Amino acid sequence: MEFLAPTSWDEALAVKAEHPEAEVIAGGTDVMVDLNFDRRRPAMLVDLTRIADLATWQIDGSVLTIGAGVTYARIIDELSTLAPGLAIASRTVGSPQIRNRGTIGGNLGSASPAGDAHPPLLATKATVEVASARGSRSVPVEKFFTGAKRHVLAPDELIAAVTVPVAAGPQQFAKVGTRNAMVIAVTSFALALDPHAHAVGTGIGSAAPTPIRAEEAERVLAGELAAADQWEHRRPLDDHLVDHFARLSAEAAAPIDDVRGTAAYRRHALAVLARRTLSWAWSEYQRN
Amino acid sequence: MTAVDTPVVPWTGVVGRPLPRVEAAAKVTGAIAYADDLQLPGMLFCKLLRSPHPHARVVSVDTTAARAMRGVVAVLTGHDLPTKYGIMPTCEDEQALEHEKVRFVGDPVAAVAAVDEETALAACRAIQVEYQPLAAVESIEDALAPPDGEPLHDYAGPGNVHRLAALEFGDVEAGFARADHVREDVFFFEGNTHLPMEQHSATAQASDGQVTLWSSTQNPHYVHRALAKVLGLPMGSVRVVAAPLGGGFGGKCDPFSHEIAVCKLALVTGRPVKCTLTREEVFYTHRGRHPTLMWVRTGVDREGHILAMHFRSVLDGGAYGSYGPASMLYTGALQPTTYRIPAYRFEGARVFTSKAPCGPKRGHGTPQPRFALEVHLDKIAEELGIDPVTLRRRNYVEPFTRTVNWLRVTSCGLQQITDRVLDASGYARRRRRLGHGMGFAVSSYMCGAGLSIYWNTLPHSQCVVTAGRGGVTVFCGATDIGQGSDSMLATVAAEELGLQPGAIRLVTGDTGLTPVDLGSYSSRVTFMAGNAAREAAAKLRQLLVEAVAEAEGRSPEQVQVRDARIGSLGFEEAVALAEERFGTLATHGSYTPPAGIGGRYKGAGVGPSPAYSYSAAVVELDADPVTGEIDVHKVWLAHDIGRAINELAVRGQVEGGVCMGLGEALMEAQAYRHGLVKQPSMLDYKSLTFLEMPDVETILVETVDPEGPYGAKEVGQGPLLPVIPAVVSAVHDALGVWVDEVPVTPDKVLRALEARARGRDARYGPKSFPVVPYPPLVKVAPPDAAAPTL
Repeated sequence: MEFLAPTSWDEALAVKAEHPEAEVIAGGTDVMVDLNFDRRRPAMLVDLTRIADLATWQIDGSVLTIGAGVTYARIIDELSTLAPGLAIASRTVGSPQIRNRGTIGGNLGSASPAGDAHPPLLATKATVEVASARGSRSVPVEKFFTGAKRHVLAPDELIAAVTVPVAAGPQQFAKVGTRNAMVIAVTSFALALDPHAHAVGTGIGSAAPTPIRAEEAERVLAGELAAADQWEHRRPLDDHLVDHFARLSAEAAAPIDDVRGTAAYRRHALAVLARRTLSWAWSEYQRN
Repeated sequence: MTAVDTPVVPWTGVVGRPLPRVEAAAKVTGAIAYADDLQLPGMLFCKLLRSPHPHARVVSVDTTAARAMRGVVAVLTGHDLPTKYGIMPTCEDEQALEHEKVRFVGDPVAAVAAVDEETALAACRAIQVEYQPLAAVESIEDALAPPDGEPLHDYAGPGNVHRLAALEFGDVEAGFARADHVREDVFFFEGNTHLPMEQHSATAQASDGQVTLWSSTQNPHYVHRALAKVLGLPMGSVRVVAAPLGGGFGGKCDPFSHEIAVCKLALVTGRPVKCTLTREEVFYTHRGRHPTLMWVRTGVDREGHILAMHFRSVLDGGAYGSYGPASMLYTGALQPTTYRIPAYRFEGARVFTSKAPCGPKRGHGTPQPRFALEVHLDKIAEELGIDPVTLRRRNYVEPFTRTVNWLRVTSCGLQQITDRVLDASGYARRRRRLGHGMGFAVSSYMCGAGLSIYWNTLPHSQCVVTAGRGGVTVFCGATDIGQGSDSMLATVAAEELGLQPGAIRLVTGDTGLTPVDLGSYSSRVTFMAGNAAREAAAKLRQLLVEAVAEAEGRSPEQVQVRDARIGSLGFEEAVALAEERFGTLATHGSYTPPAGIGGRYKGAGVGPSPAYSYSAAVVELDADPVTGEIDVHKVWLAHDIGRAINELAVRGQVEGGVCMGLGEALMEAQAYRHGLVKQPSMLDYKSLTFLEMPDVETILVETVDPEGPYGAKEVGQGPLLPVIPAVVSAVHDALGVWVDEVPVTPDKVLRALEARARGRDARYGPKSFPVVPYPPLVKVAPPDAAAPTL
């Protein structure tokens, strides 16, 4: 196996252009598992961890750009105010060792329906910045996933960064699993409220072939909040509205039975998570 | 000398003190050599080719291409090792490599020795095996149905039934007739596996027709026997050395294919051969907890006194016999060691299925019925409106009695452990609120099986102690599997000789150098090897004392043994003096369980033990009424240890048992899909991590057993047992629903809540117990209650 370790972004793009079949490795928390289990045997690995620029983040106005090589540990430490939903989700990833190694770009690259970063990125309408030697493009995160462990990247493309709006309101994330650490979510749910735009964002993990939004739930909740002028008054939410939101969120999913859980349990749990995250987020909004 | 006037007092400088384990430094620095650390010059590496089918005829095995590969030195098939073996003489149904048929995914069919693992693996892939698939047997229900085609084995039966038992002690029907209240319940305990940190590894070396095996085994003596048989060698030509183990828990108790294969390959090639299993292979090797379906019916009077009990079990044994007949009988044996059951009927069955073989795991055959029995008693208490602790106390066995199935009970701290665990946990004063619960349960376990696995008249443990210019050495077949066996031996010898454990050299678990100890299973080592070591060391002490007394012109009673001194002499001087007086200093000791500790009926071999430990647990948890998630906050565990020889080691075993019990209670499952193990990796097989492990408060109760060494009893297995039913009981306390199936996953909790919401029985669990072809009852008269029991 050939191991390439480019030290600059341009070099990485050139390598990928020349060897589009090469497997990309960042923190290695997914790729190394597959190699150990002999699930894939790539002829060439391209390691992106030596590209310093990739592991940085910056703010431009109200837009936060997170380099693909930023780890979960750094998201928790450095971005918990700017991207609280993503930070909460990052705290639930694996174990300290995994959070020190695993990156946001790697999570997207693996495109697992259970990827913990995906629901908060969907809820905040993030954009994936993609590049190749041919040029670069921006892909809305909901267009990024094309199937279980599949995405829109062309063979010569790499993930450069993710951009998300700086949080304008409360964000939440919750997941359920057999245990709390070192676990792949049975199902997960992210919620982002934007009081300025009067917008509601959602993201669902592990309950469909790809991470998805609960669009109908978003639309109904945003509509009801606007109709009752709730963004202004911040009154307690009507129980029926919360239940309706929870039901619509669960209905958005297309779960299956597998090793980790049953479809029925996933759908039930999803409704619970939607209800809980909305209650937490709204309480926070009422307090502030 | 003023020593003459000093009264002689027993040396208690060692026993009972919380000393670090003798091998602790070597383990934490990484200096200890586990089986896979062994490297021999010119060593070859072995890989096994395993069946991809759950059940198939092996039509042909073509090894031509594999043999022709560069780097491949030898290839074996079942034709090279045709002799069948098995841990129990009544079911020798295994072959190291199967050449006629395979019975589970992972059943070995060929073995390759090559210059490295990669080449061995490539050669395995090059072996052409033609299989003719047969109908798989995937469940207890499948196994009880008439076989679709041929059964897995051509012995036992009917069909895929492996073993049956039906015993009755006392008049059960009369008991039920007198009862004010009779209750029936059905329970299921899913199978799970040991999950030792260390994978199995074995290395063999052969010369001049003699073979030595270093292996990660709990039972070198039983492996020794199996190797001699399968290799066709006299036992004197085979030597088995048990390497330090990175965890056993029962998973390294059988003789295994890889152990036999490396020995044969070493004999064939003349070079050392190593085989280390991958983690995935450890899941196939298994011998774990039997999935067990249980039905229990109990009759009680108004106060909750048990009048009669009828317990049925059926165990999913997987593909081979292993310890199965014993595992099955254990599901019925120990219920009467905690509760007085005046009339008791047990019907048990074990079936074959085309899955990895089940065998002994920590608690061997007793965690399943303990879970069923304790939850069943909780339900009876609820129905009678009696506090579940009070109901249990009314039925506790008394010390120094005999059970209805003839088991001799000696020291028994049930009442004390109950008092202590309730006091510490505040169980009786707990505040009731939705989603928060506490559960209580008790259990007992054996301090070593009263009988060997195969019939023989050997002592169960033997020890030799030598002393000379090279210091004191203890030779014993006992094997340290991480439970602290070596520390125990060193402590016992040190106590008798007035030394510290670090001064004792140990030679253990080596069939070429040490007298036989039956192995590290059934919680027997402290009780049996401890007594053997104590006898041997006490004899040596006697020689030293006599020599010193003679030299000093005193009576032996006046010679103190303590602080590395024998009377007025330093220990080394005393040894030199005694050697001069008596010649080479070598003493021996042995232990055989007393006669008459069990009954005389068929099946009576399972259950008797020279003593029983007792454990009581309280579990406190939150159970989420909407997601069904369970968060265990704390476990209190009171254990009747008899006497703690090393308190630190005892507490370690308790905490380990609680951790394993919680894993089984909450998440662990060795489950299959179309014959394939669903979770064959540490990531996919869920067990507790640091994050889920709650605080454990350990309470040791010392009842000082009359026959245990210094009064000691077991701790390796017992403390796991009450944790599982206590979790189920706490979930019921929190949510008002019963989960009658282990593991208690969020999914099952929710389904029980849903059942209640729909007005059905507020439980999740098996609906019915199948029809099992139990044989006619063997009626055994219970011991005469009026006669003296001991």
